Amino acid sequence: MDPSQPVVENYANPKTCFFHVIFKAAALAFYILSALFFDNFVIIFVVTVFLAALDFWVVKNVSGRILVGLRWWNEIDDNGESVWRFECLDQESLARMNKKDSWLFWWTLYLTAVAWTILGIFSLIRFQADYLLVVGVCLTLSIANIVGFTKCRKDAKKQIQAFATQTIASRFSSTIQSAFSVV
Amino acid sequence: MSHSHSDTVPLHASSQSDIDEIENLINASVLSGPATVRPARPPSPARAQIPVSSSPFLPSSIPPEPPQKLSNQKFVPAAAPAPAPAPPPLSAAASGVPRQGVEATGFGPPSNTLTEPVWDTVKRDMSRIVSNLKLVVFPNPYREDPGKALRDWDLWGPFFFIVFLGLVLSWSASVKKSEVFAVAFAVLAAGAVILTLNVLLLGGHIIFFQSLSLLGYCLFPLDVGALICLLKDNVILKVIVVSVTLAWSSWAAYPFMSTAVNPRRKALALYPVFLMYVSVGFLIIAID
Repeated sequence: MDPSQPVVENYANPKTCFFHVIFKAAALAFYILSALFFDNFVIIFVVTVFLAALDFWVVKNVSGRILVGLRWWNEIDDNGESVWRFECLDQESLARMNKKDSWLFWWTLYLTAVAWTILGIFSLIRFQADYLLVVGVCLTLSIANIVGFTKCRKDAKKQIQAFATQTIASRFSSTIQSAFSVV
Repeated sequence: MSHSHSDTVPLHASSQSDIDEIENLINASVLSGPATVRPARPPSPARAQIPVSSSPFLPSSIPPEPPQKLSNQKFVPAAAPAPAPAPPPLSAAASGVPRQGVEATGFGPPSNTLTEPVWDTVKRDMSRIVSNLKLVVFPNPYREDPGKALRDWDLWGPFFFIVFLGLVLSWSASVKKSEVFAVAFAVLAAGAVILTLNVLLLGGHIIFFQSLSLLGYCLFPLDVGALICLLKDNVILKVIVVSVTLAWSSWAAYPFMSTAVNPRRKALALYPVFLMYVSVGFLIIAID
């Protein structure tokens, strides 16, 4: 074995990754395959939407925190205004996040939305309004998560920049201070 | 969906000390030499901490020192058993006070929820559903100030209630079951959205998701009525049950909707809500 080979990271949280993917895949698979076996729209609707809702909850509350250290939610403050909050872990922990984990997280998020859009186009072509309803609900849930986490990530990047500029500024000023105190 | 931050000891006046401690940590890590680290404040009352945490924002019990190299790989839920603080169930009374201390920071307790075990999140969400249901549908002292009562809106309860109603209606129907379900779901979901837009367009002050959440929770009595009608097929019984549950639903929805708009436009806002619930009631009676 070549000792100078770079060490390949493994998934740091395999169980979370598994759950992150399984509900999405189950919803898509059930929706696609059920048309072959069931004729009952109600069952297809309820099971698919339930799996999609479970997936939404898992991504928002569990895998978002664990795989990429981001979280978003909505609060209503004392004035009765609704406030969206985006939160991320501190910079050190963010830097230490497993690359494979976050790759998996973001890619599956985007791919599911694309898959649902394609399925929606199919049902539109076939003029099946009720299946379009299912696809619409699942798509809404995926897009909500995508938007929330993307905003979170932008917020995190802004924080990193602000932190960096503050660090540089304060180091700069302390260096100048010490320089002047010596003179 | 909102979150409660009351999963540890409620923050009162310690939010300011939290901000100072955070600044201390940042200063301590950034400046060296002629640093002016502010004197440490006495830590706020000790609270139960999750044993492994990932951020230096965990305030009071950590004295200000350079941020420790904390592992954040370990907060996979299975690994964090008993020591994790179980969040107290959200009650209407408790939701007002601790919230105020937290709003100011956004740093303290929220990072605790970033690292909490999954089971705690589930429990928190379930208790929120139950408390929202109690607030909306049952008589309680907070009805005069509806905006405050449903502050912790969530859409899980409405989701379950709408699906349940659709399922019950679909089950009761002897023909065209799928259409009944699809129609019921679409009417209720689209109806809630349109009713909210109606209030907003009338110049009312209401928060979109809060109103969706409210209209969904007010379906609970109709759910109960539909279930009773499913079990007993007598027409007269159905009419009575549906009227009672309809009145209950409208009574539940009334305070929130009416306080949101100008008093002169109250009827304009309330009438469509009532109409929607009446049509659902008819659907329940007419299905055989």
